Amino acid sequence: MKTWLMVGLAGVLALAISGLGSAQATYPDGTELRLLQWSHFVPRYDDWFDTYAAEWGAANNVRVTVDHVNITEIAATMAAELDAGSGHSLIEATTSPAVFIANLHDLSDINAEAAQRFGEQHGFCQRNSYLPAADKYYGFVNTQVANAGIYDIALWTEAGYPNGPASWAELLEGGRAIYENTGVPVGIGLSPEPDSEMAVRSALWSFGGSVQDENGQVVLNSPQTIAAVEYLAQLQNEAMTAEVFGWGVPSNNQALIAGDVSFILNPASAYRSLQTVDEMAAAGIGFTAALAGPAAALTGTQALTFVIPKYVEGDELAVAKQFILDHTANYSDAHYYSELYNLPCFPAMVPQMADWLDDDPFGSQPADKLAAFQTVGEWSANLGYPGYNNPATAQIYSENILPNMVARVALGELSVADAVAQAHERIEAIFAHWRGLGMISG
Amino acid sequence: MNLLGLGKYPLDNRRLIGALFLTPALLYILLLVGFPFVLSIAFGFSDVTVGNTDLSYVGFRNFLNVWENDIFRQVFETTIRFTLLSQIFILIFANILAVIFTQDFTGKWFARFIFILPWATPVSLAMIGWLWMLDTKYSPIDYLLLQMGLLGRGGLLSDNRNLFWLAAPDLAQISVIFVQVWRMTPLATVILMAGLSSIPTDILDQAEVDGSRFMRTLLQIKLPLILPIMVIALLFSMITMFGDMTVVYVLTRGGPVDYTRVLGLYSFQVGIEGGNLAQGAAISLFAFPLLLAMAIFMLRTASRAEVR
Repeated sequence: MKTWLMVGLAGVLALAISGLGSAQATYPDGTELRLLQWSHFVPRYDDWFDTYAAEWGAANNVRVTVDHVNITEIAATMAAELDAGSGHSLIEATTSPAVFIANLHDLSDINAEAAQRFGEQHGFCQRNSYLPAADKYYGFVNTQVANAGIYDIALWTEAGYPNGPASWAELLEGGRAIYENTGVPVGIGLSPEPDSEMAVRSALWSFGGSVQDENGQVVLNSPQTIAAVEYLAQLQNEAMTAEVFGWGVPSNNQALIAGDVSFILNPASAYRSLQTVDEMAAAGIGFTAALAGPAAALTGTQALTFVIPKYVEGDELAVAKQFILDHTANYSDAHYYSELYNLPCFPAMVPQMADWLDDDPFGSQPADKLAAFQTVGEWSANLGYPGYNNPATAQIYSENILPNMVARVALGELSVADAVAQAHERIEAIFAHWRGLGMISG
Repeated sequence: MNLLGLGKYPLDNRRLIGALFLTPALLYILLLVGFPFVLSIAFGFSDVTVGNTDLSYVGFRNFLNVWENDIFRQVFETTIRFTLLSQIFILIFANILAVIFTQDFTGKWFARFIFILPWATPVSLAMIGWLWMLDTKYSPIDYLLLQMGLLGRGGLLSDNRNLFWLAAPDLAQISVIFVQVWRMTPLATVILMAGLSSIPTDILDQAEVDGSRFMRTLLQIKLPLILPIMVIALLFSMITMFGDMTVVYVLTRGGPVDYTRVLGLYSFQVGIEGGNLAQGAAISLFAFPLLLAMAIFMLRTASRAEVR
């Protein structure tokens, strides 16, 4: 109750501040803001966002409409609208929108203003909104979604790891023992879908491999990548079922709710779903930070990028920019109403985050279940790590090259060396294409 | 008033009426088939992206890059394999069902109505239904097999509680072909039924008088007579399937690995989701010569059969 009151007061205060801030910028009658959002995995967030947007519109004399589409449809919808030259004023992209840069407004101004007003932004968020080859901010990122390790406490305690696995080596050892003894597998997707994309990258980076280096040069085919792929194939063969080759967007939730998995990589959403259907079972779930590998402990982070299409002009453009800044100023609410799923790219904007993670306002037992996310900034990495997200990293993601590379080895279709070489060759061709168009430096 | 000087009334003018009747179809073909087709050729020879639609000519570069891509060649082969395999089953089932549905039996109209549903249902909606039927964890098929003791520890089919219809490579391919056959068979059946109904009854009466039995009438009279129509049904079905991406987009997104990835899906993933519109167009254009050759061959076959 106390928390609700605190958030309510904070929300009222923030709205009042944003209202005051916009006193000199109340817009002419008829000004519109059309928002395109993905349908959030945590329904409470969409309820809050829609209400917030409507109230924000009323305070600023702006007619606001919010449309939600499935997460997998955002890229296609955005492509259609940008090509048509009409559509939404503000879009929250769920995959890297760098490829659309020619049709997006430069948001250097609000990125600079945000740096002044909101403090330091996580580097992995910035690397999903700035393209060095064009020296342009094509977007603005205030939200990151990070995958933590989620494990069944009873099973892992029995296997000798009461706090869950801390490393990829422990995941293999413990996961295999659990699978052999109980038939309950590990569930890390190796399939053409977003969670698998992030999971494979997490292992790759933790073993010291990556698709590109800091300068945008392809470096996939390396001993580190080969070790990571070999590891994941072994993990699949010894601790997972064939189900992971058909993993889909809802699979983490399904597996956790069915109680048919010992470990998954996911943000808080799968656990929140379990909470709503079986609180007892949810109490038996634990969270770990990114698993440590031989080189690092990193996990794939989805940075959600606000972009404004170039066809948006005049007051509508000013409105869209103001909405982004005000939304960031209200990020405590965004974090809270996403049930701590959305994590801030500007940590200073959510001073309550540490308290909420230690004492979950949504009834976790024990209350500090989500405390692993306290250090999320240290173990998150963007899609193009250690470099910037760019059109090539986005195409590699959409073609599912990395999970397929691992799956080929796990299924015995190719040797590790051949699978990595094949993926490297395709990735080099993709980089060469985009480099030729001036979208990647070097 | 005689508009063209070719008849007493405008509506008596066969050339005018012909042109009027053809205009909607021509407009449809020009706007919804011809224009996108020409556009995709232009895209295929350019460096266009979803973010920048300025066209700069790059020659055959996109086609060469696509052809050098191992994944594309696998996808191309998968598309041909899926199309051919499903056509065999569609042809067999459509013929059997067309014969059944042209017989007289109680409840024929209801049976026809039920049978046509897979084709009449919006494909995305139907695929969501199949997605659940074939779900890796909650598949009702798996549940029944589990209850029958065929799945689970010591089960005849698998020790697992699930068969992983859309995750195991062989089962995923079988599932996609099965769903395509389920979806396309009604259309082929309806076309064949129309063909069977159009056979003059005097030919069939004569055959009966001459003592021809059911199978002989079917194999030596009915099927040869409806061969041109059968070829048309096959052509419709093949072209629809070759270009389809909805089934695999909803069911597997091309997985596991690339086992169910077909040209339409790959073109979409590279061109729209990946932003590389030029290569996406080039991928889709690889289907054109093959489909054109197939269409010419089949239409000639139909035409020859008709002449005979």
